[in-house]
Amino acid sequence: MITQEQYRTRVKELLSSGTVKMVIGYKPGSTPDRRRPLFIRTAEEANRLVLDSACITNLSGYLVTEGLLSDEKKVAIFLRPEGIRSINILAAESQLNADQIIILGFDSTGSVVKTLDGTHAGDFSELLGSIKQNSPVKPSEVLFEQVEQMTPAERFAFWQEEFSRCIKCYACRQACPMCYCRRCIVDSNQPQWVNTSSHTLGNFEWNIVRAFHLAGRCVECGNCGRACPVNIPLRLINRRMAQEVIEAFDHFPGLNQTQEPVLASFKKDDSETFIL
Amino acid sequence: MSEPFEPKIVAFVCTYCTYAGADLAGTSRLKYAPNVRTIRLPCTGRISPMFILKALQKGADGVLVSGCHPGDCHFTHGNYHARRRWMVFRSLLDFIGIPPERVKYSWISAAEGVKFAELINSVTEDIRKLGPFDQYKELIEETEAEATH
Repeated sequence: MITQEQYRTRVKELLSSGTVKMVIGYKPGSTPDRRRPLFIRTAEEANRLVLDSACITNLSGYLVTEGLLSDEKKVAIFLRPEGIRSINILAAESQLNADQIIILGFDSTGSVVKTLDGTHAGDFSELLGSIKQNSPVKPSEVLFEQVEQMTPAERFAFWQEEFSRCIKCYACRQACPMCYCRRCIVDSNQPQWVNTSSHTLGNFEWNIVRAFHLAGRCVECGNCGRACPVNIPLRLINRRMAQEVIEAFDHFPGLNQTQEPVLASFKKDDSETFIL
Repeated sequence: MSEPFEPKIVAFVCTYCTYAGADLAGTSRLKYAPNVRTIRLPCTGRISPMFILKALQKGADGVLVSGCHPGDCHFTHGNYHARRRWMVFRSLLDFIGIPPERVKYSWISAAEGVKFAELINSVTEDIRKLGPFDQYKELIEETEAEATH
C-alpha cells in the first residue's frame, strides 16, 4: 500500500507538471484478483490507480497504439521487469523512441510490491543483466519436461489435442506487446498463408507461425497465455524458443535498446551442425 | 500396400548455387530419384518458414532446403540469415512434434552436381524409411472432409 501511495504521488507530479501527457497503469478489474489497464490524463484521476501483486499484465503493448507517441510528448507507464525488456525490444526494432517513455517500474514477490529505481529503459540495464544471469536456461516446469521427453509422435498428438481447442480468436496476438504488425500474416489473403477456419491443421500453422515470429523477441510476460480463452499452454512453446536462442546465440531479448534482433543478424561462425 | 511407398519431397533451392548445381547434375546426365519437386527461389534468405509449413500442409512427406555455401551467397549474406532462421525453426518443429528428420538443409554449390544427385538419393531414401507423414495427412484429410460438407 505504501508503494501504491508513493506511485500515486509520483503520477500526480508527472501529470500536473506536464512532464507526461498520459499515464498507463492499473485499476480494479471485474473480480478482486483481476486488474484492468487504466489510462489517465489528469492529476485528479491518479487516485484511481491500483498497484499490487495482482497487476501482472504487461502494458507495454499500448505504447505502440497508432499515433500515441507521434506528437513526441512523453507517456509514463507502469512496468514489471518483463515490460521494461519489451520497451527495449520495441526501441531496438524502431517502434518507439524510448526517451518518450517514463517508466514507473515495480516488481513483486508474493504479495509484497517493491519499487524499481529508474525512469528510463536505460536505467535498468543492471537489473536486466542480473535477470539474465539468474534465469535458468532450462525451464523447470514439469509439463515442459514431460513434453520434452515424449517421442515426436506423442508430442504431435499432445499439441494436436491442445490446438484442436483453438478457435482462432487471435487473442494471443492482440495481447502480445510484440505483435504490432499493421497487417498480420494471418490477415493477408493473397497468398493465404494460414487457413482462416479453425480446424486443427490451420491451428497448427497459426501457432507455429506465432511462436516463430516471437522467437528471440518474447520476454515471457505471459500475456498470450492469460488471454487464451481455451488455455492452450502457449508459454511452453515460447519458453522453448527462448531456450533455443540463448543456447544457440546467447541472446536474451530486451537487455538494452541497441541489442540487434537475433533473427535479423548473424555471425559467420553460427552453428550449422544440422546442415548437410 | 502392394506398391512401395514413394515419398513426395519438395526442394526449395536458391537459383545461384543449388539450382545451378541441379542443372549441372542434369547436363552431366546423372541419375537421381524422381521424388523431388524443385522450387527455385532467388536466395535461401527468401525462404520463409511458411514455405516449409505449406509444403507439409499440401501433403509433402519431406522438405529439402538448399543454397549457397557460407561466404558464397550472391547477396553476400542471405544464407547466413537463413541459417539462423532454420536453427530456430528446426527446434520449433521438433517441439511441436514434426520430426526434424523430415526437413533437411544443405549447402550445394553450382559445381557440385554430383553432390546434388547423391543428396537427392540419400534424402529420398531417408524419407522412404520414415514412411508417409501419417499424423499430418490425417489432419489434411479431416480438413478436406469438413470442407465438402
